[in-house]
Amino acid sequence: MLSRSVRRSLGYHARRRVSIPEAPYRCFSCTRRAQAESKNERMTHFGFTNVPESQKESMVGAVFSSVASSYDTMNDFMSLGIHRLWKDHFVRSLNPGSALPSRETDTTGKGWNILDIAGGTGDIAFRMLDHATNINHDHETRVTIADINPDMLAEGQKRSIQTPYYNTSRLSFMQANAQQMPDIPDNSIDLYTVVFGIRNFTDKQAALQEAFRVLKPGGVFACMEFSKVENDVFNAVYKQWSFSAIPLIGQLVAGDRESYQYLVESIEQFPSQEEFRGMIQKAGFLIPGRGFENLTGGIAAIHKGIKPLPPV
Amino acid sequence: MAQPFHLIRYQAVLSTPKRQLTSLRTTRSVIPQCSRQLHHQSRQTTRRPTGTPKTHLASSFPPPIRRSYHSEHHPDLPPHEYTNSQTTILSAALRHVPTHGFTRNALTLGARDSGFLDVSVQLFPRGEFDLVLFWLASRRGLLRASVEDGLFEKDERVMAGQTLSVEEKTKLLIIKRLKMNTEIRHQWQDALALMSLLENIPLSLSELHALSSEILTLAGDASVDASWYTKRLSVAAIYASSEVVMTRDQSPGLSETEVFVDRRVEDSTAIGEKLTGLKQCLGFMGSTAIGLGRSWGLKI
Repeated sequence: MLSRSVRRSLGYHARRRVSIPEAPYRCFSCTRRAQAESKNERMTHFGFTNVPESQKESMVGAVFSSVASSYDTMNDFMSLGIHRLWKDHFVRSLNPGSALPSRETDTTGKGWNILDIAGGTGDIAFRMLDHATNINHDHETRVTIADINPDMLAEGQKRSIQTPYYNTSRLSFMQANAQQMPDIPDNSIDLYTVVFGIRNFTDKQAALQEAFRVLKPGGVFACMEFSKVENDVFNAVYKQWSFSAIPLIGQLVAGDRESYQYLVESIEQFPSQEEFRGMIQKAGFLIPGRGFENLTGGIAAIHKGIKPLPPV
Repeated sequence: MAQPFHLIRYQAVLSTPKRQLTSLRTTRSVIPQCSRQLHHQSRQTTRRPTGTPKTHLASSFPPPIRRSYHSEHHPDLPPHEYTNSQTTILSAALRHVPTHGFTRNALTLGARDSGFLDVSVQLFPRGEFDLVLFWLASRRGLLRASVEDGLFEKDERVMAGQTLSVEEKTKLLIIKRLKMNTEIRHQWQDALALMSLLENIPLSLSELHALSSEILTLAGDASVDASWYTKRLSVAAIYASSEVVMTRDQSPGLSETEVFVDRRVEDSTAIGEKLTGLKQCLGFMGSTAIGLGRSWGLKI
C-alpha cells in the first residue's frame, strides 16, 4: 500500500512537472539580435547551407556578378558545349513567332509578347528572335529580358549590339525580381521563359504565381532547369563530374571556386521533375502530357505549363 | 473535464465514416444491377431493414443475358484521353484540316478559333500527330454513336426482314468508317506518312487495333478463342489496305473502295474456308492412316 501510494504520488508529480511551462530558451553564446533573427525569419537553401531568406538574394547576386563576364566560356567548359544544343532544342520546341498572318477576326494581336526571366546575357532571347524572324518570318514578335542582376543585364546589352535587334522595339531590358514585377500588367505576356534561373530564386512558388498573373489566358510558361538523372550509373558519373570537375574548372578558368561550388550545390537542391511539375500545377497551370521532357538523361529538363482560359 | 470531452470527439470522428461506409455498401450492391427494371426493384429492397439485398435480387430475378461493365447512369467514357481545353482546340482545328491538312497551321487556327493564343499549341507535345490521333479517336466515337442511332436497322436488308450476319455488319461498319474520311481524303496520305514515322508507329498501331476491336464488338462478335486475334488482325488489315485505296479513289461516293472492301472480305472468308478445309482434310487423312496402321496390326 505504501509503495503504491508513493508511486502514485511520484507519477502525479511527474505529470505535473510536464505541465510546468518550460523556461524560455537562453543562449549565452549568441547575441540577442542573432537570436531574434533566426526566430522570426524563414530559412532557405543557398547551396548546401541554410541562410535567411532575406540574404539569399544578395548572395546569389554576388555569385552572378562574379561570373557574368566568363559566363559563356564557363558554360561551354562545364557542359562540354551541350548547353547550346539544349537551348536550341528549347527554342525550336517552343517555335516562337506566328507563321500564319493574323486574320481580322483574331483578337490575339500581331506577334508574340515574350518575357525572358533571368535571361541577362540574352542567350535565349536572341535565339527566340532569330527563330521568329528566320523560320516563321514574323517581324513583330518582341522579347523583354528581365534579370535581377545588373551585371548580367549589362553583359546582355553589350552582346545585343552585335544582333540586328539592337535599339529596336523588339528587344528591351528590365531589371526586375521575378517574384514581384509590378511594372508588368496582368494578362499581357504570351510566353514566359526562364532558363537555368528558377533554381536561384528565393521563393519559387511565388515566382510561379507571378508568372501565372502576367501571362495571358492560353499563355505558356516554359522553363529549362537542371534536374535529376534517372539512370543510376549515369548519375554516378555525372555527380563525380559536377562535384569534382566543375569547381576545379571554375577555379582555373574564372578564378572563382566558391561561385561554381554554389552552382553545383544549387543543382543538387533543386526539386525533381515530378515535384517541380506539382509546383507548376499548384500555381494553376495546365500540364500538357507528361509535363516535362528530359534532356541528356535528365541532367536538364524542360517543363511547360499553360494558363487556362477563364471559365465561361 | 478534458478527458471525457476528448472521448466524445473521438467517438464522433469514428462513427461518421462508419455511417458513410454502410450507406455506401447498400448503394454499391444496388448500382451494378443497372438496367431499369432492376433499379425499380431495388427500391423495394431498400425498404427491407437488414440483410443482403444482393442475394435477394439474384434469387427473385433471372440474371440479364448480356450486361455491360459500365452503368448506364454514368456518361460514356470519351474515346480519347484529351482534356477539355485540348478537345476544344482539336475539334476547332479539325475544321481547318480540309484546307490546311494535318499540320501545325491547322492546330494554330483551331487554337485561335477557340480563344487561345498561337503559343497555346504547346498543349500538344506531339504536335500535328495529336491532331491525327484525335481525328482517329473521335471518328471511332462517331462510329459507335451511329450504331446506337440505328445504323443496322436502317439497312435495306434489315428493312426487308432479313437479319445481318456478323460478317455483313463488319463490312457495313468498315465502309461507314471509310466514308467518314471523304472530306479529308486528299489530306489523308500526309496523315498516313505521319503515322508511319518511327516514333509514332506504336500509337498508330494501337489505334488501329482499337478501331478493329470496336468494329467487331459493334458487329456483335463474341468469339472467345484464338479467332479473337485472327478476326481483329484481318479486320485491321482490310481497313488499313482499303484506306490506302481510298486516298486514290476518285469515284463518286467511294464506290471503288466499296468494291475493294467487298473483295477483301470475300478473300478473307475464302482463306478461312480453305484453312478449315485443309484442317479437315489433314485430320481425315491422319485418322485414315491410323486406322490403316491398326488394321495391319501396328500398336498405335
